[in-house]
Amino acid sequence: MTVLLLVGAATLAVGGLLAAVPGSRRTPGGGRISGTILLQALGMTLMGVTGAAALLRDRRIGMSFHSSVSPALGLDPLSGFFLALLALTAVPTLIFADAYLSGVQGAGRRRALSALMAGFLLALTGVLTARDPMTFLASWELMTMLPAASILISRRDPEVRAAVYAYVAITHLGGAGVWIALLVAAHHGALGHPQALTAAGGATQALVAIAALIGFGTKAGLVPLHSWLPRAHPVAPAPMSALMSGMMIKVALYGLVRVEFDWLGTQPLWLGLAVVAVGLLSSLGGILWALAQRDLKRLLAYSSIENVGVITLGLGASLILLHGGDRLWASLAFAAAMFHTVNHAIFKSLLFLGAGAIERAVGSLDLDHLGGLMRRMPWTGGAFLIGALALAGLPPLGGFASEWLTLQTLLHVALRGPLGVSLTGAVALAGLAATAALAALAFIKVVGLVLLGRPRTERCAHAIEAPVKMRVGVSSLAALCVLLGLVPGIVVPKLMGLLPYGQHLAPRPGFAIPGTGSLPTLGIAIGLLLLTALLARTRGHSQPAPAAAPSWACGQAVTPQLDWTSAAFTKPLRLVLDALMRPHRQLEVVQTGTITQRIHYVSHTPSLVDRLLYEPTVRAALRAATLARRLQTGNIRTYAGYLAALVTLALVLLGTGVLR
Amino acid sequence: MNALLATVLQLVGVALAPLLPGTIQTLKARLQGRRGPSPLQPYRTLRRLWSKSSVAPDGAGVIYRMAPPLVAACALVAIAIVPLAGFSYDLGVGHDVLALIGVLALGRFALAVSAWDTGNGFSLMGAARDVMLAVFAEALLALTFLVAALPAHSTDLGRMISAAAGVHPWQQIAHWCGAAAFILVVLVETGRQPIDNPDTHLELTMIHEGPLLEYAGRDLALLQWSAQARHWLVLLLGAELFLPHPLAFPGALGALALGIVAQCFGLAVIETAQAKMRTLRAPALLGLGCLVALAGVGTFVTGVA
Repeated sequence: MTVLLLVGAATLAVGGLLAAVPGSRRTPGGGRISGTILLQALGMTLMGVTGAAALLRDRRIGMSFHSSVSPALGLDPLSGFFLALLALTAVPTLIFADAYLSGVQGAGRRRALSALMAGFLLALTGVLTARDPMTFLASWELMTMLPAASILISRRDPEVRAAVYAYVAITHLGGAGVWIALLVAAHHGALGHPQALTAAGGATQALVAIAALIGFGTKAGLVPLHSWLPRAHPVAPAPMSALMSGMMIKVALYGLVRVEFDWLGTQPLWLGLAVVAVGLLSSLGGILWALAQRDLKRLLAYSSIENVGVITLGLGASLILLHGGDRLWASLAFAAAMFHTVNHAIFKSLLFLGAGAIERAVGSLDLDHLGGLMRRMPWTGGAFLIGALALAGLPPLGGFASEWLTLQTLLHVALRGPLGVSLTGAVALAGLAATAALAALAFIKVVGLVLLGRPRTERCAHAIEAPVKMRVGVSSLAALCVLLGLVPGIVVPKLMGLLPYGQHLAPRPGFAIPGTGSLPTLGIAIGLLLLTALLARTRGHSQPAPAAAPSWACGQAVTPQLDWTSAAFTKPLRLVLDALMRPHRQLEVVQTGTITQRIHYVSHTPSLVDRLLYEPTVRAALRAATLARRLQTGNIRTYAGYLAALVTLALVLLGTGVLR
Repeated sequence: MNALLATVLQLVGVALAPLLPGTIQTLKARLQGRRGPSPLQPYRTLRRLWSKSSVAPDGAGVIYRMAPPLVAACALVAIAIVPLAGFSYDLGVGHDVLALIGVLALGRFALAVSAWDTGNGFSLMGAARDVMLAVFAEALLALTFLVAALPAHSTDLGRMISAAAGVHPWQQIAHWCGAAAFILVVLVETGRQPIDNPDTHLELTMIHEGPLLEYAGRDLALLQWSAQARHWLVLLLGAELFLPHPLAFPGALGALALGIVAQCFGLAVIETAQAKMRTLRAPALLGLGCLVALAGVGTFVTGVA
């Protein structure tokens, strides 16, 4: 098994290196699937198979965790699960990328992007397979920097550079938490030995727990440390943003799970409550700002924050239940979080790839300049619709199954009491229900503006369906969405094994959880499908094809000016939540005499967190920098003065015996 | 045998659904001193629509065509999920209350998406308001169902209904809180005043009626029946979870009938006495319902009787 893993990694590395060789004919872009991409996909598959084997057979492969500096690699069921998931999303993404990269200008850029993708996948694998702190931290930093490089290679405008700067700055500031958590844990020898931190005492435990929550939470995009995510994800090339949103933030969650569940030893109650609070804030905040977006990829990035929040809710519920000693339900809550991780990785990769295909076809991602693409691009559009349905948490797709499970566990938290815990569970339950409705609202808007109605621009009206490789990429992910929705009960018992609870839930298509309701996913799916087909038949039978007529606009002619925009559809909610979303509006009316010549209206919804947290921080930092700059006079005498003062100070300190 | 009985009972629901809005309209007319239409009027409307041909707006595609059957299928599955009169037999779709919320959400999604397919401004206006209200309604729905699920320790509707049967639940404050919050659920899910006005003929004020504007013929019949099925579902749940009823089968059926009629009467009274409120104010009302339900959860957990 170790051999398989190493061969996989080597194949991926060779694929990446060959792609970088100039003049090679194997670089992406040809009509057939290019050799380097094939090698990368093969390597990824091999590693995924190893991961799946570790998960399914409940085995450890390679070395186990240790706290010293000598490098070590290995797999256990948890990292195996994430590695298998990585392969599951990376292979369709690579196939998509083969066609996508051929549209990138410049052979050098294509080579670099292809190689960087392989490097990024290797870095992700490195984080997952690292068994010592140094390998982990090195892969972690690589995982942060490679996407930044690929963004800068693909686009050069100042706006993008600012976004990359914000990404690197925020993830590094927050990422300090990862270093602190890991090094403190390693100092106490806690890697792989959970008792060590329990023995080290509550204060150390709290330090590690909070540092990990901040460090991994920043990278996972949890509110309020999410600000980099909606900046960086949309500007990356489509396959890269699919991997970033699909997998990179999941790998951050892997780190969080590893520390909080594995190395912490005992989980204090406040940790569970804090994780639930952060999860609730992220899910509601993420989806609310997603609603206000006009750019498709930015909207998708914000919805990633929402989904990470939902996963975090499950993790928090699991921590609370672990503290209460309810192993079965803790394990269920953990499995709910992991199952949502699977679902989100798949449907978010699908949606980002779909967005990439759409951008290629029509040259824009502005929601108000798309429309009618379902008819022009049935394959991409259909897959995109399935992804949107899954994201909106609707039956019978995977997103619904995992949200159902998360709701069940929150309900169980509410049931357990004491009062504070119980009310936390109830509020989180209501918040998750509202989040699902908000996600539905956001994706009704997306589906409507992108796929349905009339094409709003000339290019949309003449869009051409994406090339076969792109279609294969998105369709296979869509098929996975449907499959996970139909038979979630086969996957979940395996995921429950990641947090052993001493019992075994038999795999079956739907969910049947002892002590609460059951969800026969297959029955509901078949029922919906059969009844819809039946009703569609009875409806269409005795009737001629419907006659076409202009739609009703109170007797006016229907003109493009009457088309609804992204902002219009979310206006009722924006008005209701005015105090929370604080939209900026700017209305400019140009009049000559009493005749209105032109009306210019701009509205945008800035993120409240940006304004209340980041802007003051940036202002304070700049002010401090201005103060510090006064030291730099540029005059040689001042510097000589500094030197003299320093020497005097050192002598005084030596003389008084402070320095020895 | 049981399967047959269960199917028959659910078909009763399918058949009786249009009677509920009809009854409410008749009662309302009487309360307002008018004669009003017969309670059977919705059946006549459905029959009339069923024999008409349909018209599709320019540019509408497959989503527009498939939305009415899907919405109606969602309503049918939802009816099959809710057991009738404590007689729970699984028809293959289970009895889970969270699954019920999901299936209803799918119907709402399909209808709103169809409004985008027509591109009609009025349909979209109604859909936008509908999904906005749904955000708050779903939170409220989850919390009220939580209150009902607490004593049952389960989200299985069969067990929730038996836990709500008899005199015992009424000795708990939580049950009263749940019942109070459920009144708001009934108002928002049936789309009645003060949240929505089902009688409006002005496109600008429509919420639930808005997305139906472009439909005609059998499509419209399916959609109207779905709205009526929503009445049936919500009033049925209200009678089974939050109104007094015995556990045993024949008595439960009688109590159910009484409960549904009483709720129809209540809705007619509210519609007569209460004007429609501003749409943007409705979320505050639903938020109040959430707080009441949360208070119910709190009292249940702390054991305050």
